[in-house]
Parts: sequence; C-alpha cells; structure tokens
Amino acid sequence: MSEHVPAPVAGSPVEDAKPSRFGRRRGVQSRKTVTFGDASDVTTSKGWMLVSLGGLFLLWWWFTRGPEPILDEKTFPSPFATWDAFVDWWRDGYRRASAWEHASASLSRVLKGMLIGTIIGIPVGFAMGLSRVLRGIFDPIVELFRPVPPLALLPMFIMWFGIGEESKVNLLVWASVWVMIIASRAGVLGVSGSKVHAAYSLGANKWQILRYVILPNALPEVFTGLRVALGVSWGTLVAAELVGAEKGLGASIYIASRFFRMDIVLMNIVIIGVIGALMDLVMRLFESRLIPWRGKG
Amino acid sequence: MKDLSVQNVSMVYELPKGGSVQALHDVSFDLEAGRLLTLLGPSGCGKTTLLNIVAGFLAPSGGTVELGGTPITGPGQERGMVFQQGALFEWQNVAQNVAFGPRMNRRKRSETKVLVNGLLNTVGLTGFGDKAIYELSGGMQQRVALARCLANEPEVILMDEPLGALDALTREKMQGLILKLWKETGKTIILVTHSVEEALFLGDKLFVMAPRPGRIEKAYELPFAEVGLTTDPRKLKASAEFIEKREELLSMIWGMEEQIMGHEGGMS
Repeated sequence: MSEHVPAPVAGSPVEDAKPSRFGRRRGVQSRKTVTFGDASDVTTSKGWMLVSLGGLFLLWWWFTRGPEPILDEKTFPSPFATWDAFVDWWRDGYRRASAWEHASASLSRVLKGMLIGTIIGIPVGFAMGLSRVLRGIFDPIVELFRPVPPLALLPMFIMWFGIGEESKVNLLVWASVWVMIIASRAGVLGVSGSKVHAAYSLGANKWQILRYVILPNALPEVFTGLRVALGVSWGTLVAAELVGAEKGLGASIYIASRFFRMDIVLMNIVIIGVIGALMDLVMRLFESRLIPWRGKG
Repeated sequence: MKDLSVQNVSMVYELPKGGSVQALHDVSFDLEAGRLLTLLGPSGCGKTTLLNIVAGFLAPSGGTVELGGTPITGPGQERGMVFQQGALFEWQNVAQNVAFGPRMNRRKRSETKVLVNGLLNTVGLTGFGDKAIYELSGGMQQRVALARCLANEPEVILMDEPLGALDALTREKMQGLILKLWKETGKTIILVTHSVEEALFLGDKLFVMAPRPGRIEKAYELPFAEVGLTTDPRKLKASAEFIEKREELLSMIWGMEEQIMGHEGGMS
C-alpha cells in the first residue's frame, strides 16, 4: 500500500478552518467524527439567523397577504400594515406623545425596576449564600413570593403606591428581584472551598474574602441573573402599564387594543421584542468584556 | 524558623445518619524547621485531614498543634497552602494572583511588583505576568500557585497533592522545582501525595499513614531529597536503594488496601 499523503494546498480544508456563515465548520473541525452532542463546538450560525428571521417574515406574509390569506387583517395585521403603523408612530407618535416619549417611558421604568431589584436582590442573595440563619429566614419568603404573577399584585400595588410611576416601577422591581436573589445566591454557593481557604491562608480577612473572592466568583451568575431579569421585566411591562399610564409601549398596546387597532398592538409588540433583544446583546458584550474567564475555569 | 509540634491529635467526624468515623487517632510528631515531610497512605488514612488541621481549616477533636510554641486555632499566613488545582483566581492575571497575599496585607505596590517579578522568575514564569490563568497549562498554573504561596514568606508550606492532576513528565519537572524551592528558601514543607515514588523522592522525612483509625503507621528518614537536585533524578529513581524502598512501601500500602477491601467485602 502506498503511504502517500497529499500535501495541503492553499485554501484546502486543513488551512481554512473558519466556520462558514451557515455554521458548518470546515477543515480541521470537519475531521471530527462526533459532531452531535459536542456542544463546545456549536456556535451561533449567522446564516441560519437570517434564514430564521426571513422565514418568520415569510410565514407572517403568507398567512396575512399571501395568495390565499387565512388570517384577517383586522385580527392579525400583515407585515405591511404593521410597517405602516410603525411609520405613523415614528412620525406622529401615538395619543399625543411621540414615539421617543413612549419608548423612553417604558425603558426608564424597566431600568429603574431592574436597578432597584438588583440593589435589593444582590445583597439578599449574598446573605442567603453566606449565612444559615439568613437563608432560613429568606428562603420561604423567596419561594412563596417568586411564583406570584405581577399582574395579580397590580390591584394591591395601585392601592398602596397610587396609580403613578411608583406602582409601575415597584411591579417591575417585583419581577426582577427574585431572579436576582436566586442568581446571586447561586453565585455565592458556587465558590470552591479551596479558593476561600487559599485566600485565608494568604492573610485575607472576612471582608477581603467577600470583596476579592466571593464577589468576583459570583459575577458570572449575577450576569446571567441580570439577563434573565431583563427579559422578565420587559415581559411584565404591559401588566405594569395597564392602569394609569399615558405613555409607554405597554400602555399603548392596552389602549390600542380597546380601539381594535391590532396593527398598533403588533407594532408595539415588535418594538418591545427588538429593544429587549438589543439590550440583551449589549449585556452579552459587557459580559465578554467583564468576565472573560467565564466557562474557562 | 519555627518548629511544628503535633501532640495527640485526633479527629472524629460525626456522620449525619448517626455513628462516627475516626479520621485521625492520637497522632503525634515533631517537625523541625526546614524539613520536607511527605505524607503517604491509602484513601481514608487521614492525611488530608492532618494537613487541614495544621493549616487551621479544621479544629481537631482532641490534641494540640503548635507552630513555634504558638497554638494553631485557624488559618494564618505563616502557613501557606498549595492545592491540587482550582484554587487560583481566574478573574485575576498571573501577576495579580501572585500579588494577592501582599495586597491583602496592604504592602506597597512598588515593593510588591518587584517581589512578584522575582517570584515569577524563581518558578520559571518570567514574562507570564500578564497572562490569564485559563491560558496556562496545568503545570504552569501550579507554578503560579507556588509563587503565590511564597509571596507571603510563610514559615510552613502545606501542599495537598499539588502535582496530582499533572501528566507524568510535567510532574517530574515540578518535583524538581519543589526541591529547588525547598533548598533555596529553607522552608518547612508538608506534602500530601498518592504517589509512592513522589513521596520517596521529595521527602527527607516520610510518614506512611494507615486508615481505620487514621494514624502514622511508619516513619522514615530518607536520603533522596537531599541529593535530588545534584543527582540525575532518573538515575536516582532507578537506583537499587530507591527501588528497594519503593517496593517496601508499595507492599505495605497494598496490604492496607487489601484489608480495606476485605473489610468492606465482609460488611456487604
């Protein structure tokens, strides 16, 4: 048998090991015989992202404005109608408030709710991770209150905090605080005993252990919590703006639905989705800058 | 330099389901400053428990441990610790890891910088200060752990299977480094290992420990560590004297393992 091995030529699979836009890695990677289940080798395929988005739009168009539309424009507006609603909204605003006023009202509520939820959630989660007593005290509270849907609390929150901003922001605090508590607690519990022991042996005191070992060690979990809380907060927005809001994306959805303006409803849903996705993207950028060690420990 | 004194130390773990395990029973020894003691024994013989008691992470159920006449009641920086792996801080680079101890002690930054560079030099990591921990191989990570431990000038260095996760070749190299550091710094070292060869080669004193209850079965004074730096380690490990000791220890530990197996077999 000849032992001839062909020399790699320029541009051959061996040299060109970049993943293609459709995610199938060429070259060295394609020599792997086990691909299914090798999660470390799965990266987001930009090509398929476009296909997915395109497919979604195609379906939307097909069911509303296709050759034989099966959905009524009145109940499910087409992409074109939604786009028209967006253009109107962008130019003229909605209900005497500009597009920017609606978006920024919602954005600032979500950010305020997240901020307060985080400021409360991280210390409580840390306390639960660090102390038996405090875990005993907080655990039933967290487990009992966490599943309560924010919408169920709305009537009481309005009674307690009024129909102004306070009740809305507090509802969003409720939405994010449990996630932040659980994420922070998990981050603290995730610290390895040898890291803490090593730090004590290097002369660190309790405060320094907290600041220089437990806190940075919990950062990846806290960041995951922030991303989840952000999603939950946007998901709670409509409930938060259900009563007594003039401005806001969630309020617009509620108002427009009462006038059967499904195009405006759908347009606001898309805006919420897009803003939420963009914010998650920003968080992921921060994450890769702030926590480069994530998943490499 | 301070001598270490362990007197009548015992350790009983209460089991959550009732009953208890005697992890250490009446262990006593004195270790003069500057010795390199290796602890060897089958799993469950209490060698890591003993190390953790000396480190101050565990309080013994009976007996006393003193360093230079001062009782040990908790962790302290005169007793440095090197773990098997995973004890480095991934969120800090190599230099920051090494500088951790001085930083906790609020030493001057400029002083610390000089110290860290010197230590990186000593462990063979010159120029690696800016590297992230996860960029280093297992052997290099253990070099960082050694440097970090040395930065605080501990009296005693405790090593819990420091080379246990390394491949055979890296392990041999690192054994040389540990000997070199021991010779150059003159520090007392206690090293726990599973490897008979490593315990013989590195220890100028060796305890073989036995389980149920955990105790020191036999103590050896060994000549190999003393000449380990000047003689070719491969030749030393192939010498008749070394091989004889190795077989003696191996058969002793095999005997203990068989007893454990027989014991457990009898229980089931």
